[in-house]
Amino acid sequence: MQNERSQGSKGFWKKVGGYIRPFIGIAVIAWAIWRMYIVFFVDAKFGPETWLRLAFSGLVIGGMYSLVAIGYSLVYGILGMINFAHGEVMMVGSFAGYFLIQALKQIPVPSAVMPEQTFLNAYPWLSVILAFAVGMTTAAATGYFLEKIAYRPLRNAPRLVPLISAIGASIFLQNAVQLLFSPQLRDYTNPDLLARGTGFALKVNDNSVMLTYTGVLAFLISISLMGLLYYVVQRTRLGRSMRAISQDKKTSALMGVNVDNVISKTFIISGLLAGAAGVMWGLQMGLINYFMGFLPGIKAFTAAVLGGIGSIPGAMVGGLVLGVIESIAPAAFGVDFQLKDVIAFLILILIFLYRPTGLLGTTIKEEKL
Amino acid sequence: MKNKSSGNKIVNPAIVASIVSIFLIMIGFNVVFAAIVSKAFGQNVISGSLSNPYFQIVFNAMMGFLVGWRVNQTRNFRGVLASSAAGAISGAIVAGFCLLLGIIYVNGGDFRSYLTALSPINVNFCLYGLPPIMGFLVTLVTFIIFAFLGGLLKLIPFGRFFSKPAGAVKSFFNKPSIQKTWHNKVFRIFLLILGLSALIILPRLWGSYWNYVIGTVGIYVLMGLGLNLIVGLSGQLVLGFAAFIAVGAYTAALLNAPEPHNLMLGSWIAFIVGIGLAAFAGALIGLPIMKLRGDYLAIVTLGFGEIMRISLKSDLLTSFTGGPRGIQDIKGPVIFGAAFNSDIDFMYLIIMAVAIAIFVTIRLQDSRVGRAWISMREDETVASASGVNPMKYKMLALVLGAAFAGLAGTIFATRNQFTGPEDHTLMVSINALAIVIVGGMGSIPGIILGAFALKGLPELLREFESYRMLAFGALLVAMMIWRPQGFWPAKRPALSKRVKPEDSPPPLPLDPNKEVGHD
Amino acid sequence: MTDVLQIQNVTKQFGGLTAVDNVSIDIPEKSISSIIGPNGAGKTTLFNCISGYYSPEDGKILFQGQPIQGLATYEVAALGIARTYQNIRLFKQLTALENILVGAQPHLTTGWLSAVLHTRKFKSEEYDALVEATHLLDHVGLKGCGDTVAVNLPYGAQRRLEIARALANRPSLLLLDEPTAGMNPQETESMAKFIATLRDDFNLTIVLIEHDMSVVMGISEQISVLDHGVKIAEGLPEEIRANPRVIEAYLGAGTQHLVDKFKRKKNNAA
Repeated sequence: MQNERSQGSKGFWKKVGGYIRPFIGIAVIAWAIWRMYIVFFVDAKFGPETWLRLAFSGLVIGGMYSLVAIGYSLVYGILGMINFAHGEVMMVGSFAGYFLIQALKQIPVPSAVMPEQTFLNAYPWLSVILAFAVGMTTAAATGYFLEKIAYRPLRNAPRLVPLISAIGASIFLQNAVQLLFSPQLRDYTNPDLLARGTGFALKVNDNSVMLTYTGVLAFLISISLMGLLYYVVQRTRLGRSMRAISQDKKTSALMGVNVDNVISKTFIISGLLAGAAGVMWGLQMGLINYFMGFLPGIKAFTAAVLGGIGSIPGAMVGGLVLGVIESIAPAAFGVDFQLKDVIAFLILILIFLYRPTGLLGTTIKEEKL
Repeated sequence: MKNKSSGNKIVNPAIVASIVSIFLIMIGFNVVFAAIVSKAFGQNVISGSLSNPYFQIVFNAMMGFLVGWRVNQTRNFRGVLASSAAGAISGAIVAGFCLLLGIIYVNGGDFRSYLTALSPINVNFCLYGLPPIMGFLVTLVTFIIFAFLGGLLKLIPFGRFFSKPAGAVKSFFNKPSIQKTWHNKVFRIFLLILGLSALIILPRLWGSYWNYVIGTVGIYVLMGLGLNLIVGLSGQLVLGFAAFIAVGAYTAALLNAPEPHNLMLGSWIAFIVGIGLAAFAGALIGLPIMKLRGDYLAIVTLGFGEIMRISLKSDLLTSFTGGPRGIQDIKGPVIFGAAFNSDIDFMYLIIMAVAIAIFVTIRLQDSRVGRAWISMREDETVASASGVNPMKYKMLALVLGAAFAGLAGTIFATRNQFTGPEDHTLMVSINALAIVIVGGMGSIPGIILGAFALKGLPELLREFESYRMLAFGALLVAMMIWRPQGFWPAKRPALSKRVKPEDSPPPLPLDPNKEVGHD
Repeated sequence: MTDVLQIQNVTKQFGGLTAVDNVSIDIPEKSISSIIGPNGAGKTTLFNCISGYYSPEDGKILFQGQPIQGLATYEVAALGIARTYQNIRLFKQLTALENILVGAQPHLTTGWLSAVLHTRKFKSEEYDALVEATHLLDHVGLKGCGDTVAVNLPYGAQRRLEIARALANRPSLLLLDEPTAGMNPQETESMAKFIATLRDDFNLTIVLIEHDMSVVMGISEQISVLDHGVKIAEGLPEEIRANPRVIEAYLGAGTQHLVDKFKRKKNNAA
């Protein structure tokens, strides 16, 4: 039987606050429906091939968001803090992959048909694997040192302190990369086999939709890594320790879990995933620079919250959902593509207004009184 | 007696030092540093070219010295040996790195496409223009010598040199006659007049450049004070402060510029409306974020800030906001018929605004409002259970803080006669946050200090401009680890001194049997 | 005598766990009552329901006849209910006097504008509050420590400061959560005596959560016993002391015969 709320002193603000949320919600939904009506029925200029193309690219980028989002969720679950510098970890991985490819481009492997062939095209799959390996390892190392230097000393400090430290680390990493490698945009050289813009051509209604090879590869790798991670978290001892620490750090330590060790490994794992996302980003989008981690970092955080911060499946789902929405929404609502980035922020705000626990729900850490 | 742990005390700092040195070399910092040092020696360096290579020795000497200083923890002669050993290790690594580069470059290699600071000229500079082997030896020896000196210097008990004079100074200031003068009302008024005259006269003396710089510092102090109410006192971690500043700036701009609306209402009206709208924006943002804590609050407010910037920049709203180009030719204030025509006038305006902000902050800090805010920052749950209405006070902090921001924004835009979306980026919010946190939360002198450090220092150290953000990031991390309370932590007032003797409780009866509790 | 606090059939659940299960307790006015029970029995949860931190799923809490369940904590404080905490929760960066002054918030009426303008009302209100805080500080034995930042005070002093902060509320009901935790026997005894005097000095009703039986038996007029969220006994100290269910709850099931054996031995020796 539901409890009756007693008559407290209801202030003016409470009353107003009570009306604002439903008001905003209804306004947003109404606007969305109106815009979609215009786009689909009045203008009607987008055919199914457009939606398919957008959905595909949304899934591809969503996969990358998922990988980074998992990193946010892992760290939040275990430390209760948002790793503000995680986007930069992705960026570092991306650069590492870039430099490896540049190096591979320098190794001549002449063949009879192509006398100027380089390693990159002679062994394209090996090159890609190496790029991922280098990118992921470098990002993992970055994550490891990030935790060791900027977060570990602040384990017991009030919330504000590690957050500022994270912001500082983020700024430091961005500028370090900028100073080391110059602000110029770098262009990923894909092996010819996986050149950007080539892919499977799907025929839809007399139009053809391209499912790019890089996109498909990225998506498959994302899903595989997510599956691997899920296995680690659910079935291995490390995963059990991670889950234990996220529920009760002190008791886990008392039970013999080496907390520092597990936390380091968590950062390493989230770094590996972010590094993979970084290399994917380079292969798929082409251009990278020192600032590339900022927006994807925030969007991935939004994805983690969307799915339920602290929840790994939530981060996976959230990333894919966010990627697709971000891709389709500007066209569906008929707004400028410039405002694409605003969508992620808006989603963030809406989630906090209406469902702070996220789509798949999460336990927001309660304090003990 | 070298066991593993003592080995670590030598090897670890050495490795860290060598990594830092190599990193600095890879970003070209050593070249810039050498240029500054040579400037100190009177040899000015044309920007773009290199100083005398021997100033690279100063760089290596400095790094060696720091290693040596750090390693000698035991402050005895064995420690000095340890320092030298550490110097040798780090010197070998750094020198080896330069040697490697030297050899590669001599044979035609070039890493410039990867590491832009490693041009052949710079690599040559690292080796002092000598052949690689010689460069290696010079670097190694420099490290060892200065590490030795660093360790040696630690043997000197500096504390003893300073304690006596420090004690003398302290006892001087505690003398009753000095204390009496300090608290004398006439003396205080005299100080006030002195300070005020300084504030009036100095802007006329120190020239347009300094007026501009100090004026910018003043605007940042204003921003810091505003954010201080929100973050420093009431503990709400708001990362989108730039949005409130933007409201103020754009209000002033839109009401006072020929495009896009040609309203030309005058600066004073713009100021008032700007402050009001910014305060309103604070209230508006406050409503949805009431229930958010800590990190979430930070990210959501960051989102608001970015939404504001992107919207201002978008083509969609250009007809209203001026779009990516911003708004130009904002007309300045006119007082008693005369227009503001120099930085001096703006300086006075900024001084007045900062004075008002400081006044309001001091009054609020030392009242039930300030105490309610700090109690919420320390422990919101218990504050609420003690009778503090969190929503009301959070709103108050946001509205007032946003109002300060609005004032800062209007002055900023009016002084620059321009404002645009790129004036209101995330970095502005982070700068304001750094001023508050690194200066000291809730501490007015800390915030002033922080603003000077953040905006004033870079002016003085122009050569290091490209490294400013790097240092900023490192500083944030370092401050949080070593001094999270800020450079100048806030001090709470000594309230007991205000209670008049007749209202105090009667003195303790000298009864040893009476324990806790008595009347 | 009227009951100042009536807890009626209160149930509080967290997911699958029922922390407080249909508990009803009546607290008479001006009494000193205790709530005891083994760890995890739901005592602090019950306090949290009273002070408004939790909203019970079921049941009512009446304070001076008015329902207060579901009110926000600051509203509950404004009604005159003050409390202390199991782990001391002072405002660490505020001085002792300032901590007490925060407790007095429900009585202060001036707003931010008066604070900025230093109106006469503001100044007199702040001064009176300061004087009262100084008296409270003295009453709990911390005279002279007013300007010390709270985090720098020793443990015992911090506990007493917390009580002073609660008293600043001018409450009618004072909830003390394990006030003698971490104290040695002398400190415990003097704290118990102090709590007993509080009731008369300040015209209060006091409810304690306590583990130290000497305190509980020494100063309580009514004891309620919780175990696993359920009230298993209630009554005068002598009744509780002899209650077999209570003994079992603390010592474990089936230990009653050991207690009887021990009592027989004691009687034989006497």
